[in-house]
Amino acid sequence: MSTDGTDARPKRHLDPRPLPTAPDGSPGDPIVSVRSLTKRYGGLAAVDDLSFSLPAGTITGFLGPNGAGKTTTLRLILGLAEPTSGEALVFGHRYEDLDQPARRVGAVLESNDFHPGRSGRDHLRALALAAALPPTRVAQVLQLVELDAAASRRVQTYSLGMRQRLGLAAALLGDPELLVLDEPANGLDPAGIHWLRTFLRRFATRGGTVLVSSHVLAEVAQTVDEVLIIDRGRLVARARLDELAGRGRTLEDTYLELTTGGAS
Amino acid sequence: MKVQLRSELLKQRSTRTNFVLVAGMLGLVLFVELVHGVGLAAEHLDARSEQLETFGRGEFLGVLFAALLGALSITSEIRHGTIRPTFLVTPRRGSVVAAKVGVSMLVGAGFGLVASGLAAGIGAAALSVRGIDVQVDGGDHALLVAGGAAAAALWAAIGVGIGAVVRSQVPTVVGISAWLLFVEGVLAGDALDLGVSRFAPGAAAAAISGQDPGMLLEPALGAVLLTLYAVVASAAGWLATTRRDVV
Repeated sequence: MSTDGTDARPKRHLDPRPLPTAPDGSPGDPIVSVRSLTKRYGGLAAVDDLSFSLPAGTITGFLGPNGAGKTTTLRLILGLAEPTSGEALVFGHRYEDLDQPARRVGAVLESNDFHPGRSGRDHLRALALAAALPPTRVAQVLQLVELDAAASRRVQTYSLGMRQRLGLAAALLGDPELLVLDEPANGLDPAGIHWLRTFLRRFATRGGTVLVSSHVLAEVAQTVDEVLIIDRGRLVARARLDELAGRGRTLEDTYLELTTGGAS
Repeated sequence: MKVQLRSELLKQRSTRTNFVLVAGMLGLVLFVELVHGVGLAAEHLDARSEQLETFGRGEFLGVLFAALLGALSITSEIRHGTIRPTFLVTPRRGSVVAAKVGVSMLVGAGFGLVASGLAAGIGAAALSVRGIDVQVDGGDHALLVAGGAAAAALWAAIGVGIGAVVRSQVPTVVGISAWLLFVEGVLAGDALDLGVSRFAPGAAAAAISGQDPGMLLEPALGAVLLTLYAVVASAAGWLATTRRDVV
């Protein structure tokens, strides 16, 4: 095992080494590659023949009305659900085939995936142990999300914003290259949203890749480089925000035109 | 695998759940041994088999609480959602189930050891205070305690398996309790002579610690049978967890 208690591992996204090789992989592989992904529950397709890929160093907003299949897609990418057909690869592999996934991918799917009676620090320690990460990472990520003062308290005493940050801390334990976040801004106050936006921007500037789902367009418009819009499990648009702006269109125009939610 | 075991061990230590379980179990051991040891008429306590039955209440409580401990180790993760980060870190879910079985068996054995040892100790003390000869000898005591630990460890594995299959916490806990406290009693009732009750998992657990040799299996046979139950339950939990999508 390579963990010797130190964290001398170079920052991978600054590291010129080629990415770990897939059987058919090359360094230019997309970080996330979703091909003809389909997930049916009974007769209903929650995700329907979805294909997209994410290049490194970008923040991609994953948009769509409630029930469009955003969360299901993220669960399929993260190996928590099995696709009916098609595939979702991260770094050229199925998630469950990644060696030490916590060092490649960090994810937060729900804002409250904690045992209320366990301290924030113990929550992170249990995950760090299972991921074979050095214990020093726990203190580092606690500091990063500014939770060190509250780390010994039980999670039931945490505010929603603190829980969001604890979830993020867990995702960051392995210093991953890819962050997958499902509605991370839910319940955050303006200061929290600002903190999150700054954090994600810094993460991407250092070469990290972010896939963030949201249905709050105003929030997304200020944070992401490009958007994927899905509706009823299908991809309906993919665009860079600066392209949309160049064509004189707002994100909201595009979104409302292409999705079937609400007003129509 | 070793890292998963350490992680599971920390999970079990870092909430109050297990301490509450231990406290409840010890309270009930104290209660039953005092009520029986002090309250039963002397003529119901002087035979070896009657004393074994009284001392054996601890073994039963160890089994019940170890089963709940095992079941909670997985249903609590599902209930609180920590199962998601757990499987994100260890996407080969089978090794999480295996680690839960291993750690629950270890802690469950501790539950069984403490419950049976304490029950035999308090029971014997109560008898001596009343001047009743203790007929249970050293070998019986050793079997009570060692059998109690083994039975509780195996039932902890059964609890993990049932929890992994059922997933929902309340039905799991109610189901295990109802089985051990009610269903097996009905199966073994005098009015029924099905002859199968001795093969039930609760009866097999009691057999391991040398209870009621007339009714139950030999201790070694009980151990083999209960091990089989534990293997089947763990395998079912493993299959259910690796094959189904995470909730």
